[in-house]
Amino acid sequence: MSDQTQQGGASQKSGTISAPPRPPVERPGQADAPAGTDQTHTIVVLAYDRHGALDRIIGVLRRRRAKLQGFAIGRNEFQGMARITIVMNDSEVAVEQLVEQLRKIVDVQHVEKLTSEQTVARELALIKVNSNDSQYSTEIIELAHQFGAHVVDVTQQTLTLEVTGSEEKVEKFVDSLKSFGIREVARTGRVAMIRGVE
Amino acid sequence: MYVAATITQKPEGATTYQAHRSTETIEARELSGSQILCEALMREGVELIYGYPGGAIMPFYDALTSYPVLHHVLVRHEQAAAHAADGYARATGKVGVCVATSGPGATNLVTGLATAYMDSTPIVAITGQVARPFIGRDAFQETDILGVTQPITKHNFLVQRVEDLADIVHEAFKLARGGRPGPVVIDVPKDVQILKTQYRDSVSISSIERFRATRAPHPSAEAIARATELIKGAQRPLIMSGHGVILANAYAELHAFAEKTNIPVITTLLGLSAFPETHPLALGMPGMHGPAHVNRAIGEADLIIGVGLRFDDRVTGKASEFAPHARFIHIDIDPSEMHKVKRATVPIVSDAKEGLARLIEAVEEGDNSTWINEVRRWEAENSERSESIQRNQEYPDPTSILEAIRAETKDEAIIVTDVGQHQMWTARHYTWTRPNSHITSGGLGTMGFALPAAMGVKMGIPDATVWVVAGDGGIQMNIQELATLKQEGITVKVAIMNNGYLGMVRQWQHFFHNGNYSETPITGPDYIKLADAYGLTGMRVTKREDVEAAVLKAMNTEGTVLIDFVIESEANVYPMVAPGSAITNMIEESPNHE
Repeated sequence: MSDQTQQGGASQKSGTISAPPRPPVERPGQADAPAGTDQTHTIVVLAYDRHGALDRIIGVLRRRRAKLQGFAIGRNEFQGMARITIVMNDSEVAVEQLVEQLRKIVDVQHVEKLTSEQTVARELALIKVNSNDSQYSTEIIELAHQFGAHVVDVTQQTLTLEVTGSEEKVEKFVDSLKSFGIREVARTGRVAMIRGVE
Repeated sequence: MYVAATITQKPEGATTYQAHRSTETIEARELSGSQILCEALMREGVELIYGYPGGAIMPFYDALTSYPVLHHVLVRHEQAAAHAADGYARATGKVGVCVATSGPGATNLVTGLATAYMDSTPIVAITGQVARPFIGRDAFQETDILGVTQPITKHNFLVQRVEDLADIVHEAFKLARGGRPGPVVIDVPKDVQILKTQYRDSVSISSIERFRATRAPHPSAEAIARATELIKGAQRPLIMSGHGVILANAYAELHAFAEKTNIPVITTLLGLSAFPETHPLALGMPGMHGPAHVNRAIGEADLIIGVGLRFDDRVTGKASEFAPHARFIHIDIDPSEMHKVKRATVPIVSDAKEGLARLIEAVEEGDNSTWINEVRRWEAENSERSESIQRNQEYPDPTSILEAIRAETKDEAIIVTDVGQHQMWTARHYTWTRPNSHITSGGLGTMGFALPAAMGVKMGIPDATVWVVAGDGGIQMNIQELATLKQEGITVKVAIMNNGYLGMVRQWQHFFHNGNYSETPITGPDYIKLADAYGLTGMRVTKREDVEAAVLKAMNTEGTVLIDFVIESEANVYPMVAPGSAITNMIEESPNHE
């Protein structure tokens, strides 16, 4: 994912090192998607957690030239399965193509494209900020409260905070901590689910 | 039928495989991984294995001698094993099997696997792997073959426990032939081949069922109804049939559908021979080297019914200008082919056979004679033009060679072509009438494919007359297989169209690189001496008038025969569409070029 995750408007503001913008990907033959129809799509993949399964999923995304923005992997409610949330910025046609390609992977049990209206999406971030001044610490903790964040680690020089929420909220929180001096940010990337009963 | 003499715990009464299978109570026997591999291959009905031994696969080769029903063919290069398995699969519709050792043996299979993957042919490749404790430690002859073959296989397995081996083999076969066929790799560590476990002659269904990818989808009634409406309203419809028709054995359905609707049929390179070219509705091959009237018909068509094809760029040229006035009905077993290149008005996800059968029931009889006459008029104009061109009469020309083969084999040969100019000439000028009589590497365009693939074709259908048509470049790529042909006593007849060039590349250099023939002139061996050195028969033909006699002589000579046809050195394949250009924009033969 290396060069690709940095792409996309939001994450560049978050105090991390930003990569130069990528040139648009030329994909002749990818159906007739008009230019400028790219938008963010979320795909959820349920896969058997078997040897090489993750490789195959990432392999398809690479080989079919997915414009990847996020890739989060974790367990779900079934034993021996993995739930992968893929975020990408692309045209509807290209995303539909990818969904079908992902469905062909033998290890993949289910693929679903989520639309933003029906989706609840969250991410978690750990943020390590400078706090060598005690007054700073108080300010940081107050700010954290406003965002519903928790302090998970305290040292003489640093405070580590945990925040969950929409990507926009995480973005804002990271922004508002910038003035204290951010040492490190770790974000999980989006995990998502359809609201209510499908 | 094998006698299970070597098996330690022979079940009561199970002296033959058949008898064993019919036994109701299945007893477990303790077998080694290698024996299990052989047992499972037999259960899958495997008769032929193409392979090459080596360190990490030696336990399997040790067990193999106890299973004489599994006929192993020792190739001279693992690439040929994969192509031979591929040729066998294409000719018979059964799964081809190839075996190689770890490391270089396995990587030598890669080109063959990629060829099978691109053309959707079912093969199972078994590779040895270093013993489990050495995996990941850069051991001698260790290659991460799962990683290497991941993008060019339908699926691949590393067998981590000997207990899983039998199920994995059966799953691999099911995957290879199910749905859209393709290659599957089974990587078996050496210690897994040696370890013993209880083996039952049963397939654990649950483990197979989880592979959803093999399920063949069925066309929806709604899609069939919409397609029927489109067909009814079309004025200039075309059927484009591809490899899917051959893979699904849907010849009769294609025939019946075309006749009932009276819609002319175009066959792609891999679809050739699916529809008899002598039929009044047969138009020919589309795309880069398709005849002008076919591409022009596509340009004018208002409906394209694509059956079992994927609208490859060699077919469509510039995709956005391909069939600009047409709507598309696309029948394919692979849902990911829908809308990949052209958005289908009606996508029908189905096996070609079932999709066509459903359409035949639904459609009304049609009459497209006005449209067909128009296309035939273009065809006539083109052939008049073509006939007016002065040609060199001295050399054996591709058409005369192909006509001679067709005549002398009474149109019953299976033709296996390599890749390049000869491939296009054969595709265009051999009049295909018998289903599945044309075998070639289309998607990957693998030079060196023909000779080893023909080996598989001939062994799959021993009664068939098999001709290889190859260029002087491609034939040199797997020429070592002449030794395999000799050792196995396999008879194929080989026609080399020898122009002393890598002809297709030279043609591109002629048109697109100002005639700068960079590294395309190529010499070859004396094929008569070469054949002789391998214990085979070789001939050379330098005059047009000798072509027929040579072909006849080859047919009457026992064993594999090579004929070196010295053809005109700088002949081109016409017409030609420049890559990336619209297919209606053709470079046609003109007297100035000759």
